[in-house]
Amino acid sequence: MKALNYLKIIALLLPGFGLILFFLGMILYVAIFQSFGLFNLSGEDNFTLQYWEKLFNRKVFYRSVNYSLYVGVISSIISVALAYPIALWLRKPFYGSIIINSILKAPLLVHGLVAAFLFVNLVAYHGIINQIFIFIGLWDEPIRMQNDKNAIGVLILQVWKNLPFALLILLGSIQSIGDDVIDAARDLGANSFARLKKIIAPLTISSMQAALIIIFIGALADFSFQSIAGPTNKYSLSQLMLYYKNNGRWHEAAGVGVTIMIISFLGAIFISYLTKFIFFGRKINEFK
Amino acid sequence: MNLNKVLILLILIISFIWLVVPFTMAILWSLVDPSEPWTVDKIFPPVMSFYRWNYMWENSNLKEALLNSYILAPTTALFCLILSIPTSYAFGRLNFYGKEIAKLLTLLPIVLPPFVTSIYFSSILFEIGFQYWKFGNVLIAHVVLFIPFSIRIMTVCFEQVKQDVIDAARDLSASKIEVFKTAYFPSLKSGVFASILIVFILSIEEFAIAFIIGAPDFITIPTILYSALGQDFVRPNAAVISLILVFPNVILMIFLERVLRSANPALISGK
Repeated sequence: MKALNYLKIIALLLPGFGLILFFLGMILYVAIFQSFGLFNLSGEDNFTLQYWEKLFNRKVFYRSVNYSLYVGVISSIISVALAYPIALWLRKPFYGSIIINSILKAPLLVHGLVAAFLFVNLVAYHGIINQIFIFIGLWDEPIRMQNDKNAIGVLILQVWKNLPFALLILLGSIQSIGDDVIDAARDLGANSFARLKKIIAPLTISSMQAALIIIFIGALADFSFQSIAGPTNKYSLSQLMLYYKNNGRWHEAAGVGVTIMIISFLGAIFISYLTKFIFFGRKINEFK
Repeated sequence: MNLNKVLILLILIISFIWLVVPFTMAILWSLVDPSEPWTVDKIFPPVMSFYRWNYMWENSNLKEALLNSYILAPTTALFCLILSIPTSYAFGRLNFYGKEIAKLLTLLPIVLPPFVTSIYFSSILFEIGFQYWKFGNVLIAHVVLFIPFSIRIMTVCFEQVKQDVIDAARDLSASKIEVFKTAYFPSLKSGVFASILIVFILSIEEFAIAFIIGAPDFITIPTILYSALGQDFVRPNAAVISLILVFPNVILMIFLERVLRSANPALISGK
């Protein structure tokens, strides 16, 4: 009977969970082994470390890692840091809060490519910012702001797209904190910052971690914002991977793909531990 | 003026810059008539018409892209729903060893960067010689990528089915169909709508897979938008495609919120 039950459960899991496990397992398997010379699409399979060596000997690879990390880290921190005070403000309903909530959520409905286009319209050589400043006579001629070398445009786009997402995750979590907990902290003399650091942040740490991790991974592997609004002299890791793939260099592309996965995985672990350490300090074991 | 009012005013001003100005710009650019260009010294387009909309409709791949996107998205939504139901039932109604780990692993496609997924998915298709049926390939990839959303939504729905209602129906000698109608159906109804709408929107918007696996033979709205923003960049044409991509999404999302009657779609979407 027990065996029959297990067979029934396996049969139920196969179409959904089985499908995910099969394809994702294959993707991970192919990516990892292809980076070591196997799954050769244009010749014999040959286990080798040469593709990793080639990657590690190229400056463009390190530049891409640094650049993608820069975009991933900064975007996730700014998005969550801005979302927290807004979520705290919207914790209790007030006149107009539903409209504010909807307005803030609106960028979620806008595709990343559309967002990039809208942004480019603003900062382009013939964009509205240049037009306004020339119209009011502040600038004599248009200034080139698009594709800036510090990727400020990409960071603005990432925050534009991810802030509402962080807000959605945090708001539900913050709203679930009871008034009695916050009132008790207030009665004990905790000021706003102390309440945020010692009560609200620890109680919403899971949502904070989820928001930071998902935004970090998304921004780390960004392609569309970077290719439209990013600096032209830098490649994000996704761009580098696609460059290798389009040139038939599948093994090096696999190396970059595996790098993205490793950084995503390590980044997720690092974010979890760092946030716990910041808000729990030595009490980290108690949290576990 | 109290602090709340100041903050509301501030958010409204920021939103104006954040949302209204960029969309107004896109609408204006889509209406620029080619007879007189919109130059930097003019704050509004000198001549406005629907020429670009007509032009894009008649002379670009827009019709094909719209057709592909609007066949692909509902098919993906339907497949995701059908395939997710057995797994969701197991997650929502049955207890078994390793359930929590299995639930966590279903989220893998959401966490794995889409560009990595699409490149290695295309590599697998090459390996098995299955790379030519573009629609089928993009469909399979979309189903794998978005089925976690359906599973998550339907699992919550199955969890919400009340055991005492099922027991009561059974005690009153209800048949299996009647038990389904009285106990399961009311909880599953909104989930089915939500799953179809969310997967539909995600599939319409999806870029990485359509670009890497589908292009250049199988084009969708995001892939022609990408071309319109890159190699074929003509700002008014890109504005037309952007607006075509955004408006159905906004309408569908408003409809979704009404269906769910929820202020927090993150709970449903699993994001």
